[in-house]
Amino acid sequence: MKKYSYVGKEVDRIDAFEKVTGTATYTADIKLPGMLYVKLVKSPHAHARIVKIDTTEAEGLYGVRAILIGKEIPQRFGIYLQDKTMLAQEKVRHVGEPVVAVAADTEEIAERSVELIKVEYEELPAVLDQRDALKKDAPLVHENLHEYKHAPFIFPEPHTNIANHFKIRKGDIEAGFKEADVIVENEFRQPQVQHVPMETHCSIGQWLPNGQINVWTSAQSPFAVRQLLSIGFGVPIHKINVQVPFLGGGFGGKAGLHWEPLVVFLSKKTGGRPVKLTMTREEEFTTAAVRQGLYARVKTGVKRDGKITAEEIEFVWDTGPYADYSVNVGRASGYSCTGPYEIPNLKGDSLTVYTNHPYGTAFRGFGHVPFHWAIERQMDLVAQEIEMDPVEFRLKNAATPGRITATGEKLREDCGRVDECIKAVAKELAWGEKVERRGNKLRGKGIAALWKAPAMPANTSSSAVLKLNEDGTVTLLVATSEMGQGTHTALAQMVAEELRIPMEKVKAVTSQKTDYVPYTWQTVASRSSFMDGNAVLRAVSDAKDKIKDTAAALLGVSKDHLVIGEGKVSFRDDPDKCVSLTDVATCGTLPSGGGIKGPILGYGAYTAEGLTNLDPETGQGYPALKWTFGAQGMEIEVDTETGDIRVLKAVTALDVGKALNPKLIKSQIYGAIIQGLGPALSEQYVYNEKGAVINNNLTDYKILRAPDIPDEFVPILIENPQRNAPYGARGIGEPVLISITPALGNAIYDATGVNFYDLPLSREKIWLGLKQKEER
Amino acid sequence: MPLPEFDYLRPKSVGELTDLLVEHENDAKIFAGGTDLLVLMRDRIVRPKYLIDIKGIKELHELSHNEGGLRIGAAVTLNQLIESDVVKKRFRALWDAAKSMADPTLRNRATLVGNICNASPASDTAPALLVLDAEVEVVSKEGERAIPIQEFFVWVKRTSLKPGELVKAVRIRNPSEGTKSGYLKWGRTRGEDLAVVGVAALVRNSGKKLVRIALSSVAPTPLLVKEVEKILEKCGSVEEQIERAVSIVTEKISPITDVRGGKEYRLHMAGVLTRRILRQLLGVI
Amino acid sequence: MSKHKISLRVNRQRYEVEVKANQTLLRLLREDLNLTGTKCACERGDCGNCTILLDGNPIKSCLVLAVEADGREVTTIEGVAKEGHLTPIQQAFIKHGALQCGFCTPAFILAAEALLKRNPNPTEEEIKEGIGGILCRCTGYRQIIDAILDISKSSEK
Repeated sequence: MKKYSYVGKEVDRIDAFEKVTGTATYTADIKLPGMLYVKLVKSPHAHARIVKIDTTEAEGLYGVRAILIGKEIPQRFGIYLQDKTMLAQEKVRHVGEPVVAVAADTEEIAERSVELIKVEYEELPAVLDQRDALKKDAPLVHENLHEYKHAPFIFPEPHTNIANHFKIRKGDIEAGFKEADVIVENEFRQPQVQHVPMETHCSIGQWLPNGQINVWTSAQSPFAVRQLLSIGFGVPIHKINVQVPFLGGGFGGKAGLHWEPLVVFLSKKTGGRPVKLTMTREEEFTTAAVRQGLYARVKTGVKRDGKITAEEIEFVWDTGPYADYSVNVGRASGYSCTGPYEIPNLKGDSLTVYTNHPYGTAFRGFGHVPFHWAIERQMDLVAQEIEMDPVEFRLKNAATPGRITATGEKLREDCGRVDECIKAVAKELAWGEKVERRGNKLRGKGIAALWKAPAMPANTSSSAVLKLNEDGTVTLLVATSEMGQGTHTALAQMVAEELRIPMEKVKAVTSQKTDYVPYTWQTVASRSSFMDGNAVLRAVSDAKDKIKDTAAALLGVSKDHLVIGEGKVSFRDDPDKCVSLTDVATCGTLPSGGGIKGPILGYGAYTAEGLTNLDPETGQGYPALKWTFGAQGMEIEVDTETGDIRVLKAVTALDVGKALNPKLIKSQIYGAIIQGLGPALSEQYVYNEKGAVINNNLTDYKILRAPDIPDEFVPILIENPQRNAPYGARGIGEPVLISITPALGNAIYDATGVNFYDLPLSREKIWLGLKQKEER
Repeated sequence: MPLPEFDYLRPKSVGELTDLLVEHENDAKIFAGGTDLLVLMRDRIVRPKYLIDIKGIKELHELSHNEGGLRIGAAVTLNQLIESDVVKKRFRALWDAAKSMADPTLRNRATLVGNICNASPASDTAPALLVLDAEVEVVSKEGERAIPIQEFFVWVKRTSLKPGELVKAVRIRNPSEGTKSGYLKWGRTRGEDLAVVGVAALVRNSGKKLVRIALSSVAPTPLLVKEVEKILEKCGSVEEQIERAVSIVTEKISPITDVRGGKEYRLHMAGVLTRRILRQLLGVI
Repeated sequence: MSKHKISLRVNRQRYEVEVKANQTLLRLLREDLNLTGTKCACERGDCGNCTILLDGNPIKSCLVLAVEADGREVTTIEGVAKEGHLTPIQQAFIKHGALQCGFCTPAFILAAEALLKRNPNPTEEEIKEGIGGILCRCTGYRQIIDAILDISKSSEK
């Protein structure tokens, strides 16, 4: 086992000082000269035709500098399917959709002007359930779906509400079910929920008269913002600069493009003044994007010995009226739909469906959190049916090395060990040891497994640049957005390790400007420490090579005989024959005073290898750069009198490959347990009968607080290295969240004998479920 | 979201305050902790032209106790109540209620009087005051009067205060010897929440036996269930008496289904909390 | 709308400003005094990210009018570390990994400073109640509680 100085250590985050002193800058903190503030007129209807917009009174208000209505900004945007305009055009498609935007000297003036704008609507029948949206006579959310441009791997069905239909077919499903001894079929439901980042969406846009577009935004994908602005407005990319400071949480909700085009276009209307939009919390809930709701049907054929022979899976995703990332969520969930198991005969259909609810986007886990609720609850339900222990049942079917995934990929030896994760959780929970009932309190244990690969195009790439500074310190430029995960710290650890210099001499720049930082795809998909990490390692290697070039020339030795460490470049056979890094940083200086070579800049690029597109009819192919496997477990106590659930112990085991920084990984594990328990216990959108969200505030959309946390958190980091990963490390940002809800659902069955299929498992729902079981 | 526009006034005496109330009638709102008012204003549900800050009036900050009882001035915060030993020992239902509300930072601002004037059906302090049989001291240009707490809450967010009137303080007579009280609250999560249902109880199991029970979130106003008053005088074991009280309570209330909970669950939890609080106060393990 | 001249101290510095009646203390701090460390995340008293100390007491600044701060002492996150020297609580937050995106961190640090001043040896339950008004979406609260417990056990304050 190699010994490292920095990699693998619990190094403090490099941005900690700024964050604990309040000196960290977020987009809403930015003030620019001449800046204007935006407020929005939003639709009160789920589906309605816009009859008339009257802005005359608002125009007269002092301090109003621009008012924008839909027809002035008809460009359609969409990262995979171009179906969304910044402001509603002829009709509105969800409650909260922006209809008019006002830019004014102050927020107050903008707010007052919004109150003066009158919009007349003609209500249309709305579709408020994704399965109703599939019916023949359902109102169409997008009548012109056939006109929209889309990525080649997305398959919208015109004249329907289907934004994408992903199919996966493996083996022979009918034969598979025939082979089965028992067939179990169940339905599961998970409503829309929201990311609830503490920092709401915020963007500042500036479109100068000379054609330069500047954007400051809380975004996970600065390069995607840049590219989509270019496509949408027809402005060449080199005239667009996107700047991203710290993000106050992203969780996928700030991936891709959101309100940047709106503020940019408003700025143009004011002649180039910077224009800022900060969403209120209420707007964050209903105007900004949400996580798709899911209806899932899983039918499993199994032999009495526990071997699954066939599975038929149907996912129907409620994405509201705009496809955004949801079409790819449907796809990625589709190709992973089996969960971490080998299913020899599979038929899967994952439909991303339009409704008139708030619109869906990426959310940490990219569909895997909702669908693992279905799959991992189904595993327990099947185990109940064949009277097999749920752990044993999972191990029997586990996707271990050598087995074949849903898309036909044979899992490599180094792919990670879900079986070890399951066993580790089972051991931690003292699986098999039952706890006595105490009065009204019942105890139970539940386990669920998980897997995820980054959901990204087969040709995704990263790059990094390392600059050697004149004093021997280094500056690392990587376009990862810092939203709490701390990737830059791990990357700095890698640089320090490879150059053998202390961490204090490495600066990993945490705020991004697309004009200055090299390209990386996006900060999503748990890909950054993996892909950007590989790019960083290559950049360091490139820098070392160039350092050695200059040093070799100065020392008169072959560069193959040089070693870099402790700020020096030394001759291998005689360490006193050396130059320092400061001697080569800007160029080499000869004894005569002249200069040779030049400033040291290391460049590294890493592109995902071996991935392919998937067959449109069968979903077969190679979508996964790496799989992160894991398992999660819960030990709980249920109060049968009140339905209250107390989580005694929450366990997460992941095969991380290599823990680059265990403290950072544990931080994400703890945070994800709470972010996962929220939708498990109390988070959900509550709509009225007209499709408006009535709990769009933090009083009634309840995320968990300090008193709600489990008694004990147990993180287990397993290290079976991944061959193509930096130091063998896989991504963990999403896997930490994936199977918390089914672990809880399975524990509830163990404790009470009641099976639940729909989330959230509120106190009230638990109590009602227990009561119904008694009355049956 | 900025607040709507208004004029800020800060009278220095109760006299000045009542003058302002007459002068501005329906255009003014009383501002104490602001934890309800400023939220309503931010949400554009109320838009007063004037905010009258009462925190500049010294006497309204008084929290005092003597043989007459407890007196809580209009500007007394929930944290002040919680820090008071006498409130904790002798007016426990009120202490429990205050402690169950929001969080310490909001409790540094929120006032008891503000809470009851807001008259939400989910108010936690209201059931406590009902079982403690409090009195509301009201003042106006015309003079002073006292409203028994049972007559204070009229409807959802409506009190029996007349225009130009202000609550100066809440008075509670010392509960007699052997009296115990408490408040239990049930929310959707362990962390802070508005009440899905809350139950306050006061019992005296010696001498002139007495049971009072009041609930929040089960009716348009906080509700005192008078019918349980003599439950301890009826025959049967303590457990039987408690069950009878639970039956009466669940019979008398008609909760609704709303964003926080369904009526069946509320009814059930009202019974559970009633049982739990009575067992606690009557010393049943 | 009425305007009011006020004099207040923020982080031991005196400020003389004119505020509008409807301006909240949160907006005064962030917009007029450019102390952007205090965050606005709901402006309704739900999330607590706007927590500051008013005369040493933690309160949600989105529900305090700026005019009320006249003659009072305000402490924001910028006033916690003196001349760049982190307090034991700030150091404990770093050590325990009690921050990720950092947006709620100023609020938790101020709440922790106030809590420990009032109750130097809180139980875990008391800590949870003390910080229960502040929402965090990243950390899951565990490490924040650990950081506060760590300081409460050590002798330095």
